Amino acid sequence: MELGDIFYNKAEYIETASGNKVSRQSVLCGSQNIVLNGKTVIQSDCIIRGDLANVRIGRHCVIASRSVIRPPFKKFSKGVAFFPLHIGDHVFIEEDCVVNAAQIGSYVHIGRNSVIGRRCVLKDCSAIAPNTVLPPETVVPPFTVFSGSPGLYAGELPECTQDLMIDLTRNYYQHFLPIAQVA
Amino acid sequence: MESIQRVGAAGMLENHRVLYKCKDYRLPLCELYFCRHCLKLRSKDCVSHEVDSHYCPNCMENMPSAEAKLKKNRCANCFDCPSCKHTLSTRATSVLVPSADDPNKAVAKKAYYLACAFCRWTSRDIGLKDQSVASGGWEEQENPNTKRISELVEYYKQVAQKEKADRERKKYAKSRIRLLGMSGKYASQSARRHASLTSMQNLRISAPDADMSLLKEEEQKLVKITPNMAVEEVEGLPEDIYTTPINLAHKGSAQASTGTVTSIAQRLSQPDEQPTLTNSLYPIHKHLLVKRSLRCKECEHNLSKPEFNPASIKFKIQLVALHYVPELRILSIPNLYCQKESVVLLSLINPLEEMTNVTLLSCEEGDPEDTESTAKIVVPSQELILSARDDAAEYDEGDSVTDFKDDPEVVIFRKANKISFVVKVTPMKAVGDVKIAFKMKYNYKNITTPLGSKEEKETPILLLEHHVDVNLGQVIPS
Repeated sequence: MELGDIFYNKAEYIETASGNKVSRQSVLCGSQNIVLNGKTVIQSDCIIRGDLANVRIGRHCVIASRSVIRPPFKKFSKGVAFFPLHIGDHVFIEEDCVVNAAQIGSYVHIGRNSVIGRRCVLKDCSAIAPNTVLPPETVVPPFTVFSGSPGLYAGELPECTQDLMIDLTRNYYQHFLPIAQVA
Repeated sequence: MESIQRVGAAGMLENHRVLYKCKDYRLPLCELYFCRHCLKLRSKDCVSHEVDSHYCPNCMENMPSAEAKLKKNRCANCFDCPSCKHTLSTRATSVLVPSADDPNKAVAKKAYYLACAFCRWTSRDIGLKDQSVASGGWEEQENPNTKRISELVEYYKQVAQKEKADRERKKYAKSRIRLLGMSGKYASQSARRHASLTSMQNLRISAPDADMSLLKEEEQKLVKITPNMAVEEVEGLPEDIYTTPINLAHKGSAQASTGTVTSIAQRLSQPDEQPTLTNSLYPIHKHLLVKRSLRCKECEHNLSKPEFNPASIKFKIQLVALHYVPELRILSIPNLYCQKESVVLLSLINPLEEMTNVTLLSCEEGDPEDTESTAKIVVPSQELILSARDDAAEYDEGDSVTDFKDDPEVVIFRKANKISFVVKVTPMKAVGDVKIAFKMKYNYKNITTPLGSKEEKETPILLLEHHVDVNLGQVIPS
């Protein structure tokens, strides 16, 4: 099934020179610490906490509505320290997710309404089923699907996951089209 | 398992609606392989799987297969929570211990214990001693039946060996008896002349005897094991089983400290102990995962061979169907009414770096492959020409050159290596999903050149055919 067009209000989104589309309705704290590498879509009511630590998001990512991207912290004997959060290319994060991961590789899919705990590592070509709670410090190996609460190994992804994710995120970007506001 | 297949990109693109037929399976293209040597689609079930390497899903460390076998396919360093199966993490604390110099003084010392970040289980809950080093050193739970199991394993190994030897001997003996029988006949005929040859007869009789004695000898060599005995009297249940209430309290509640009854999942995760109370739940070594390569069962060529490194997503050999077979997708579906012809838009994507001509053919009456369809379909009568895939085209701003003489009635648009076209569908059933089926024929340039045939320069162009099933969703009741 081919993706259909998704229209957005042109006034609502800021488009950068490198093709990022960021909703004005989203909250980007500490924007000087947030790097979007291009053609990334950040939809309305998202929160990205760049004020805590650096957040780097690769190319062709989609962060759907109401998701929270928040760098993880670690408790030490003297207080807490925040760690930078890296997200690779062609990553799709669906609606209502909370992401506290330390690292998300490329070609990763996170289903809606999931919680990715502190300092999780999602390797390349992995997926999280919708409504999953990944406890802190979980490692998700390549080509695996984790689901449930706590998120456990639930299955495998096909070998061509990389192609599928590239296709999905590219298509999504191509079909994410503006409509001029009707006065 | 099926629902898991729909997680990720394949789920969002609804790839399960377009199924390609491979032997008896109908699968989405992303789950199929294409054997370049047999020129056929292959599914996970018609290839042989070979384990390349074992690795721990937590520490991502490789383990040689011999070691993995020895360690029962479990990681030596990583543990799962016995309560909720999440990976345990090591926590460091400092404890006060009496100083070595002065027993009256207390010194702070680092201590490590295992804790679950999800259900808050800790190794202290079951009274496991804290460790002074960060990893390893945890005392293992001894399986009470280890001795018996190893005895049995040893015994069955010998039995297997013996059976194998027997089989071989039988094969050998059969051919020998036949041989001897022939020579015996010869002997009986010539015995009158050469009496000495009758000794051959003796040989024939003595040979099976020798076999028997060998057998007996081997049987004696087998270790004797004591078979399990049925017991008449079973130990009675303890008195308090009727009186003490079962503690089913959840972990974390006040009564939980004394040890509550474990869940079935918790018990089955430790099959050798099957603890009934939570205070005897021990950390479980983490199960290993495998990287595997796939091999075509017919021609024994590799279809998929991943790189050795567990974290790598690259492949040395990757013959997935998505890279070789034109991919069919549904572009748009109108409202489908029973007995009413509607126009459905489909699209085709060419994965090959050559122009591909695709012809769609509707299934003939009584086609054995066509078992699913519930609608009539009119496919485009002419060839659909797909332009070659060009990775650089993505960066091209200019419009695609339209030098194809397409019938605008059939071809809706083309964009790079993609073409969208029209099919006419008439649902024949008033309820259920509208399913269409057709054959897809396309030319394929065979790029494989057998080893050693250097003189064969030109690549033959072949015509391949696949059966495709498409599910267009529910018919609208009229």
